[in-house]
Amino acid sequence: MNASTAALLAGLVLLFPLAGSALCGLIGPVLGRRFVNLAGTLSIGAAFAVTLVIFVQVLGAASGHQSTTATLWNWLDLGPGNLNVSVDVTIDQLSVLMLLVITGVGLLIHVYSVGYMEHDPGAARFFSYMNFFIFSMALLVLAANMVILIIGWAAVALSSYLLIGFWYERESAVLAARKAFITQVIGDVALVIAALLIFVNLTTAPPACIPAHGTVCPLILAVPQHLYTLSLPQIFAHASSLGVGSPLITLICILLAVGAFAKSAQFPLHTWLPDAMEGPTPVSALIHAATMVTAGVYLIARFHSLFDLAPIASGMVACVGMGTAVMAGFIALSQVDIKRVIAYSTMSQIGLMIFAVGIGAYAAGMYQFLLHAFFKALLFLAAGNVIHAVHDEQDIREMGGLDSRMRVTAWCFLVGSLALAGFLFAGMFSKEDLLGFGLINGPGAPALYIVGIVVNVLTGLYAFRLYGTTFRGEPRSEAARNAHESKAVMLWPVVILAGLSALAGWILQWPVAFGPHLIDAFLNPVFTSPGSGPIAKAPELWPGVLGFVIGLTCSLIGIAIALRIWVRHDLDPSRVLARPGLRLLPRLSFNKLYFDEIYDALLVRPTRAVARGLRRVGDPVMDSWIKGVSGVATDFSSAFRTIQTGLIRDYASYMVLFVVIFTVAVMLAAGLAK
Amino acid sequence: MLSQAMFPWLLLTAAFLFTLGALGVLIRRNPLVVFMCIELMLNAVNLALVGYSSYLNSEEGQVFAFMVIVVAAAEVVVGLGLLTRVFSIGRELDVDDLDEMKQ
Repeated sequence: MNASTAALLAGLVLLFPLAGSALCGLIGPVLGRRFVNLAGTLSIGAAFAVTLVIFVQVLGAASGHQSTTATLWNWLDLGPGNLNVSVDVTIDQLSVLMLLVITGVGLLIHVYSVGYMEHDPGAARFFSYMNFFIFSMALLVLAANMVILIIGWAAVALSSYLLIGFWYERESAVLAARKAFITQVIGDVALVIAALLIFVNLTTAPPACIPAHGTVCPLILAVPQHLYTLSLPQIFAHASSLGVGSPLITLICILLAVGAFAKSAQFPLHTWLPDAMEGPTPVSALIHAATMVTAGVYLIARFHSLFDLAPIASGMVACVGMGTAVMAGFIALSQVDIKRVIAYSTMSQIGLMIFAVGIGAYAAGMYQFLLHAFFKALLFLAAGNVIHAVHDEQDIREMGGLDSRMRVTAWCFLVGSLALAGFLFAGMFSKEDLLGFGLINGPGAPALYIVGIVVNVLTGLYAFRLYGTTFRGEPRSEAARNAHESKAVMLWPVVILAGLSALAGWILQWPVAFGPHLIDAFLNPVFTSPGSGPIAKAPELWPGVLGFVIGLTCSLIGIAIALRIWVRHDLDPSRVLARPGLRLLPRLSFNKLYFDEIYDALLVRPTRAVARGLRRVGDPVMDSWIKGVSGVATDFSSAFRTIQTGLIRDYASYMVLFVVIFTVAVMLAAGLAK
Repeated sequence: MLSQAMFPWLLLTAAFLFTLGALGVLIRRNPLVVFMCIELMLNAVNLALVGYSSYLNSEEGQVFAFMVIVVAAAEVVVGLGLLTRVFSIGRELDVDDLDEMKQ
């Protein structure tokens, strides 16, 4: 693909959703619902079609030529040695994979939204925001310049904020939106600082001189030149000039990782994600499960050239990811809001992705991202159907027995739960793949692998607790008893996603049996391109198979225990949990490990107290100051107001008077000068 | 050619005419007379300019005088237009009566 084709195609992918957003937002309310539904979904459909063209182009390109960087236009040019920002896009295997998920899953969710938002008066606003989100997310993954990437990064946070607070009459929604946005800004700031550090420190690496046969090295090697650029290809090409394993590159990578943690809801910046479930369910599916929250994984994978050189930062990323995975899985065990359970499971699954990119298994992380997008969007959309059917009830204690009332949704949800728990469907492939890398890579391997199989048990437990309490047994409320299946427009996307969740793993693994899956082969050129460091080694065949069997067994143990407790009811966990050592666990899990309370006590309350104190001192001081200054100004001006009589003759007199004064002054000055 | 001895008298004449015009602007209340006084001031300046031009043997003063004549003509067009308008809406022609600038 040449640069002009790349620029055209990338431009179209960006343009369609942006135009859709503008159309829905500006003239949608006037032209009505049918127009909004059409414009909102067709724009994403068009973007998906263009993405397919890009995908075919990338697949067809000769090996080594799949990556194309093109300039759309030059935005800022302050001359050499200064900040230059051009709107560059990169089309390579990584960005095209992201685009496929963003526009493909995005299209399904937009179609679903047509049904979900049918009775909502704000549908035009909703589709406008959703289209804008697709645009910003596409900008984020296409960006080949760090400034553009940060713009996309902030724009997805903005659309997330707008959509979480979509029902702005609810106070809880507004508070959740604000919390999400503030947390995101912490990440934005970290990212900007990282960009500045790179900008100031990036130099051309001194050319290494290896004296070949018959040549002599020059005595003085070329002095490294400062590059002062934020263009991503340049940064990656000269990443080693930041020092290999130096404190500088470690700091940069930690800052990048903080940005990723804020976006991907990783410890300690994770508390916004469960609250974000205040938004409409399609938003949770698209932004807070499939795409935006995985932007952190993408960021680390994109900056792999830097992370390869900073083993300490990478190790930290791996530990935080795995830690979040366990923590979120533990909390998910006792939540009672159907969407919050899925939100915590998202956090946990993304923790696994972050772990994978932290140990250098970038392709494995992106594989998990791809399959997770399918089954998590499926779970959210199916949950949306459930919530619709039981009249906006989200508490799973009020559900039960829905499988005979909503057959299609229940089967799809079962597929999603199996995929999530990692048995038979999607999750089995991606999760075992990345845990396999954990066997021999990462800090203290295979310590994190052992934590990973605990995550497997937890995942099986909470996935089937959710399925069991929601769909099996007897209905526990009037609404659940009268529930019935959703309309076709809300079923088809769910069915398609269920098909993808069930088959994608098999399709991508089947042709290569025990070898690396197709995504691995597709993406690896990106991560092994010249200038990249070593990537994680895949385990040997037999240790790999052993790891796979252990992981799968643990998932099955989790599923089996969950089925016995919450479906067959022949196992009662309360007796085990009544033991003195374990008595605290359910309370910790139910209260989300008290993170909100801790942050409130450590950050929110002290800040408020300081502000209140300052106000008590500051108000009188500042008031007297300001009143004094404004009083002087008022007195001064009222003295001059009286000469504004409106009489022409008065003005003429002033003129003559001052001309005379001026003339006399000039004459006197001339006389003095003599 | 102006004789050198007459030059101070010429300047004095210009200054006298200018003062006359300025006093007229300040004292008279009829806008038409005020206009004529402004013309008087402008022409006094013209006289000084032309006088200097001759005294210093340079054309620049005359060029400026032409400039002043053009500006004066344009200003009269605008001013008389305004006056006709004020008159046609039935207002008395008195500069002290036209004090809406205060608002």
